[in-house]
Amino acid sequence: MLKPWLLGCLFLLIISFTTGVQGQDVICELDFTGTVTDEHDGTPLSYANVLLVEAERSAIADVDGYFSITDLCPGTFTLRVAHLGCEPIERQLVLLKSIRMDLFLEHHSEELHDLEVIRERPDENVGQPNTELDKHTMEKSTGRSIAEVLAAVPGVTILSTGPTIGKPMIHGLSGNRILMLNQGIRQEDQQWGTEHAPNLDPFSSDRITVVKGAASVQYGSDAIGGVIITEPVDLPRTAGINGELRGVGILNGRGGGGNAMLQGGLKGLRGFGWRVQGSGKLVGDSEAPGYTLSNTGTREQGASATMGYRDLRFRSTLYFSWFQRELGILRASHIGNLTDLDNAISTGTPWYVADFTYDIDAPRQTSDHLLAKAEMDYALTERNRIVVTYAYQTDSRKEYDIRRGGRSALPALDIGLTTHTADASFKHWIGKHIHGRAGLSGLFQRNINEPGTGIRPLIPNYQKESGGVYLIEHLPLGDRLELEAGARLENTSLRIAKYDVSGTLLQPELEYTNHALGIGANWSIKDSLNVRFNISTAYRPPHVSELYSEGLHHGAAAIEVGNDQLDSERSLKGTIDIEALWFKGRLRTDLTFYTDKIGNYIYLRPAGQQLTIRGAFPVFNYVSTDALLYGLDATLQVAVTSRWSVRSRTSIVRGRDLGMDLWLFQIPSDRTETTLLYTIVKTGNWREIELGFTSNYVAQQRRIPPGLDYAPPPGSYHLMGFQASVTRKLRNNEVRIGLQASNLFNTTYRDYMDRFRYYAAARGMDVSLWVRFGFGRPR
Amino acid sequence: MEWTCPFGSGLASADPVDPRVVRELASGTKERRNFARTMKQLILVLFVAITFASCKKDDDPIVPVQPPANEEEVITTLVLTFTDIDSFEDHVFRFTDLDGDGGNAPVIEVEDLPGNRDFAVFISLLNESVSPTQNITTQIEDELEQHQFFFQTVGVNLTMSYGDEDANLQPVGLINNSMTLSPSTGTLKVTLRHNPDKSASGVSSGDITNAGGDTDIEVTFPVVII
Repeated sequence: MLKPWLLGCLFLLIISFTTGVQGQDVICELDFTGTVTDEHDGTPLSYANVLLVEAERSAIADVDGYFSITDLCPGTFTLRVAHLGCEPIERQLVLLKSIRMDLFLEHHSEELHDLEVIRERPDENVGQPNTELDKHTMEKSTGRSIAEVLAAVPGVTILSTGPTIGKPMIHGLSGNRILMLNQGIRQEDQQWGTEHAPNLDPFSSDRITVVKGAASVQYGSDAIGGVIITEPVDLPRTAGINGELRGVGILNGRGGGGNAMLQGGLKGLRGFGWRVQGSGKLVGDSEAPGYTLSNTGTREQGASATMGYRDLRFRSTLYFSWFQRELGILRASHIGNLTDLDNAISTGTPWYVADFTYDIDAPRQTSDHLLAKAEMDYALTERNRIVVTYAYQTDSRKEYDIRRGGRSALPALDIGLTTHTADASFKHWIGKHIHGRAGLSGLFQRNINEPGTGIRPLIPNYQKESGGVYLIEHLPLGDRLELEAGARLENTSLRIAKYDVSGTLLQPELEYTNHALGIGANWSIKDSLNVRFNISTAYRPPHVSELYSEGLHHGAAAIEVGNDQLDSERSLKGTIDIEALWFKGRLRTDLTFYTDKIGNYIYLRPAGQQLTIRGAFPVFNYVSTDALLYGLDATLQVAVTSRWSVRSRTSIVRGRDLGMDLWLFQIPSDRTETTLLYTIVKTGNWREIELGFTSNYVAQQRRIPPGLDYAPPPGSYHLMGFQASVTRKLRNNEVRIGLQASNLFNTTYRDYMDRFRYYAAARGMDVSLWVRFGFGRPR
Repeated sequence: MEWTCPFGSGLASADPVDPRVVRELASGTKERRNFARTMKQLILVLFVAITFASCKKDDDPIVPVQPPANEEEVITTLVLTFTDIDSFEDHVFRFTDLDGDGGNAPVIEVEDLPGNRDFAVFISLLNESVSPTQNITTQIEDELEQHQFFFQTVGVNLTMSYGDEDANLQPVGLINNSMTLSPSTGTLKVTLRHNPDKSASGVSSGDITNAGGDTDIEVTFPVVII
């Protein structure tokens, strides 16, 4: 089945190339719309002139400040906005799809005029390859976990533990080697465990940026492989209430979810905005082809509230969010010893299969994550600002195992992680060719095992304090080249309290000092060719689990032994990202090459066997080595005609253990995804009609280290998917409906990156239907 | 163990969804400037709170309040007592791993069995890592339907058959009958399965092949019949 499809895709590509070259009809149906408003008092700037220089197209804003330039061809344009009494302001604009932009003109005669696009990025990340998932992309994965949402980005894969637990992986690194920023705050939620999914509500954010480079300079420790940023949603600034309802029905798991959001401003108080949001999700057992994956239900609920005020000099935001999740862990994955594991592998089907249910039984996990954040931004002068952020988060995790004597209701692991983070930065403007920010950041964290589990804690109690200073300077050199360079110094101290086997209290203290340096460049060689280059270092002090683990890891059927002599991991990552437009923008290619050398790469190395009352178990010691990861992400997008287009994404990653001269364990295999898209921008009251067929090919992983795995990597697989979506305007309201189907032919497969591949096949066919209803006029 | 920081409560009062705040703002009577001032003050207070109200240092909150709880689940010791049904002489097989999984290697003690004899075999499970020693056998006795022992011999002339049953008349294996034949040397593997499928083919007669479930114990004893 695989080969005809691959041939088909190849054929389509060839067709698209040839027609692309000869084609006569250029797809010039893109719209650039938006508003121009005065930053100072919010009045619409009617008669503002909006000009796209290269397109020789312009528009005059109407009385509401609204402008619209339609039927544009894709490409890079110089956007020039002018208003009576102001000098024109220019910005580069890459137009690949219809966009709407709200432009704010600062309108003071004595001050520098500046144009500010309302979507302000938390950081610039010059030279780093990054991908932004906007609302439009994210809503297609409504009801999916954050890892599944992110898997749409080339170079991002999922490290999963059955159908319920997924961790995002960037360029072959996951867990503590990537950093997650939720609303600009380091997400601290026990990411050391492979069976600990991020405790983040995918509904709470509309936009996620994935930075695929080492970014410790910008964000501190752990940003070795990359950074995932769920960006704060912009609050309304003017009076009026609007909102959004979202719902999704999921076939595989017979469940669904929903989200409600309401936001608004206050009359007579321009600059004040608020937003509340609440979501929920319930799915039952997933189905693999031929059997139910028993005990794989999930329940999630979350809520968030934001309140903010913003004027020319002063901005502040208060944010609060809560997220709770309960999930079942595949019953058949609960094994006692290696014999059980061998049995599971040789049988090929799960040993425990029951009828479909929504009930969640042991083994299961519950987690609760709470985040409160306060941010204040004060402009000392026009271009110098002080930003102070404080956040408090708690993460409570309970894991329930199957236990004797009615103790299954008692958590086997019960840990609470409390984290305070504070950050102060000074955004300074030295001159047109040098500006940046300098800052201080601090973290205070405590991990406490709640007593009463009746089991020796997996990781000890600890207290972590870290503090850092950083400086990042931005150096724009002309219109086409900008550079960024930065450095950070950070000290981390760890205090541990644990009892050893004989009951003696041990209180070791450890300290790590690390630094990071980085330099990046964005070079726009010509309008259709952009190059991003970055070379940066990043670091990560070893986690307590790597230092002090001791004992049997039940899920992994292995005895893991920590090593308190481990030093910090240090990474040197270089990336080159080349984005090019060909044939008047009809073909877009984006290539990212990367190489990442990690010193003191910490991993588990086999160290013989140990006899226990449950039989012999393999022993793994935490050791460090030097590792090298390198690879390529490629995106190719072809507009065949105005309506047909093909998009293809390929990721390749290699990981070597340089110390042992072996391949690294659990590195994703090569994969390619090709989508054939049919789009109608507008017909009657229907807009953005999109139909797509997706082919997803994942190769077998053949580059594995010997003796680390219990079974050979599963074979390659090929899945087909289908998607359809459409928007309908209803006066001030808008409805968007979509259908998403994956694994259309109910193919039986197992994924190398799924830790439960020993026990059961992956999920079978799935169809989800989602609806988004937006009401009130979004401003 | 409860650990609170004074700031936690301070933030709660500034909860952005507080309906009173929203109502007050909605009244629209306050001037924008006033509001900005209030807001600034509020946030200033908040940050001062963070800076100065550093979290109280009590007597080292990270030290666990008590020694780590006894591992109630742990089985440190498996004892097989072969009691000669004629002479009432006991021959004890014992597997002990006091520090649980990992750490020091377990200790296996066995006694030679006389040939051509009949035995009653009693199994007892202990947790000797706690004081007083905990009897785990009673936990199995409470859940007989969910447990079954299996015995596999290699190279030794020893037979085992179940001598007990659960409420469903299926075997458990805490009490067994055993018979030795001619002198020989080999091994006896004792397996305890949790949640086995006792009705699967061969399971009730002691064949582990189709039993399923997960393994609580798997211990192999060297056996010598003299």
